[in-house]
Amino acid sequence: MKKLLRAATVAAVAALALTACGGGGGASDPANVSPTGEIKPREISWLLSRPADGAVINIMKKLADDYAKEHPGFALNLITTPDRPSYIQKLETLAAANKLPELFDTDATPFAQQLAKQGKMMDADKLLKSLGLYDDYRPGALDYQRFDDGSLYMIPFQFELEFIWYNKALLEKAGVSVPKSLDDIPAMCTALRTAGITPIAIDGQDQWPLERYVAYQPFRAAGPDFVQKLKKGEASFTDEAGQKTVKWMAELGNSKCFQEGFSAQGYSDAQNLFTSGEAAMYNIGTWELPSLATDKLNAATRDDIDFFTLPTTNGSVTAANEYVSPSGIGMAVNSKTYDPLVSDFLRFALEKYPAEYAATGALSPTTNVQTTIPANATPLYSKALEAANGLGDKQAMPWDTQLDPTTNGRLQQELVLLVQGNITPEQFTKTMDDAIKQNAPKFFK
Amino acid sequence: MLPNRSRTSVLVFLLPPLLLYCAAVLFPILQSLFLSFFSWNGISDMEFVGLANYVRMLTADDIFWRSFFNALIYLAICLVLQLGGALVVASLLTSLRRGRELIKTLYLLPAVISTVAIAFLFVRIYSIDPVGLLNQLLHWVGLGSFERAWLSDVNTVLAAVSAPEGWRFTGLYMLIIYAALIAVPKELEEAAVLDGASKWTLFTKIRFPYIRPVWITTTIMATTYGLRGFDIPYLMTNGGPGQSSELLTTYMYKTAFTSTDFGYASTISVFIVIECLVAVGLILFMLKRKADS
Repeated sequence: MKKLLRAATVAAVAALALTACGGGGGASDPANVSPTGEIKPREISWLLSRPADGAVINIMKKLADDYAKEHPGFALNLITTPDRPSYIQKLETLAAANKLPELFDTDATPFAQQLAKQGKMMDADKLLKSLGLYDDYRPGALDYQRFDDGSLYMIPFQFELEFIWYNKALLEKAGVSVPKSLDDIPAMCTALRTAGITPIAIDGQDQWPLERYVAYQPFRAAGPDFVQKLKKGEASFTDEAGQKTVKWMAELGNSKCFQEGFSAQGYSDAQNLFTSGEAAMYNIGTWELPSLATDKLNAATRDDIDFFTLPTTNGSVTAANEYVSPSGIGMAVNSKTYDPLVSDFLRFALEKYPAEYAATGALSPTTNVQTTIPANATPLYSKALEAANGLGDKQAMPWDTQLDPTTNGRLQQELVLLVQGNITPEQFTKTMDDAIKQNAPKFFK
Repeated sequence: MLPNRSRTSVLVFLLPPLLLYCAAVLFPILQSLFLSFFSWNGISDMEFVGLANYVRMLTADDIFWRSFFNALIYLAICLVLQLGGALVVASLLTSLRRGRELIKTLYLLPAVISTVAIAFLFVRIYSIDPVGLLNQLLHWVGLGSFERAWLSDVNTVLAAVSAPEGWRFTGLYMLIIYAALIAVPKELEEAAVLDGASKWTLFTKIRFPYIRPVWITTTIMATTYGLRGFDIPYLMTNGGPGQSSELLTTYMYKTAFTSTDFGYASTISVFIVIECLVAVGLILFMLKRKADS
């Protein structure tokens, strides 16, 4: 029996060593965007993280069906995991097993950059240029998908603007006006609280909404470079811009800006709090236009709702028309499975996609189409869409796509503690700087 | 002793499950042990780092120790609710004449409800805005000052995520202990009562010693389940706020699948395996010593 056990152990270790060696390889040239050869229809898969019944999926399904009519045997298998943390885990596990499908969604994260460096994703810059579509895209939509070195490996399917929505009647009741500076917000919260109003509704459960706030002050004080330096350990939370955001976050907490128990409340809890007229402000993007700027919105609050863009600060280096304007999670093309079929289907789909997408009332990542405003829209709908035309050159990047995953997780946890007043700004600064020092080198070698 | 032919056939029948067990349990444990000596993020080359992961875990990782002690508190709360609660309910049940089946079913019900449903249910129960059941109850009985956001308060969140897990399996252990209790011979109990034993003496001298073997099994089951607890805390708070409800299991999961630090996550999982073995060993040792004395 002992002998048998020993043999089994040796076999297990040997098998492990073998699988470990077989992990790499197989990638073709990521720059070879126009492969030659015959188009052989087959089923291809797209691993994505978008709402199951959303516009992107519905349109791509329809386009795939149209393409299959001309190319019998073709099918597009859409595998969606809308919950982002679960999706990222799925993606990373598949990447580790070297089993990524033809197309997959990812943000411009450090992890994605490693995949790109290993030649596992097609160069989207060259790909879009070879299809003759590159110039149609909004520069901001492409910039959002770029890695720090300016390289582009993901294709955007959306374009969104993030605003702070507010309830005019509630602000009036508390005797406050729209903030002129980010620094006005804590005092505004105090006034709203005194009037018995919840100042800001936030989805604490998903963590990214609170992480948006920590990005605002540094974006105004030091521009978009701050987070790029911070994540590599070249800037720190002890810097002026860093301290400004840490103190401001603590102040937001002190002034009870967010609803009580926010850390356990979800996306729809926060939205209900705002649309029911209980909370005065709500920070969300244009993807919620169908529920905030149409007659679907609660009739009692419909006329009171408006939005303002991210306020500037004294000495701000970025302009009022520069704020968070993401083009959503991007689609990467697997270089290992890229062939004439994938190339031809992408040409077909990406050409037709913008018109179909704009017809649903959403902002296209391209400038060659006009968004259709739905019949049930309130005047706010077109006001929100118009803001896209007046955008500046710089954009505030969400930090969750920038930091390495471990530091990001720690930041999300510590932010809640800071805002709840469980830790001091000094403790927060030290913990986060230590976390970056420990984790960043592994990802940004 | 079985005749030779029958021994072979027994071995033949035992072999497939044994192989399955090795493939499904032992192999992953060995694989974790192997990975724990490497630094590997899934897509990079594996780099042998020797004991560096273990050194980091034991000496330099504040979250690891925090989640270890959280896991112990979580375990303690679960055990008190599950074993203590089960023993009390089972003892009461034996003295009940009617409606036993109904009560048994009611207590067992949470064990068959899906974990996700339980997690969502309790998020609502603990909620403060809109007011959930717990805060409403406190308000009605005049303990309004205790109302709070149970899952956002760093002082209450750990107990708040442990309670649903404890509550959930009380019925299951109650059923096991109840089955053991009704097997206690009636003659023994009657003889003791005739000798003038009180209810308490009856319980401590007759009933409990009689169910001790079942009690040991139940304790081991509850402890290992408690140490592996993951889903309810993960679903309710994701370890937050901060690391207040982070358990070793949730921390290991995040290290592996969010931080993609598979080597270090394997190190933590090896620790969890050892921790479970030590816990079972301790329980057996303590109960054996007590039985011997």
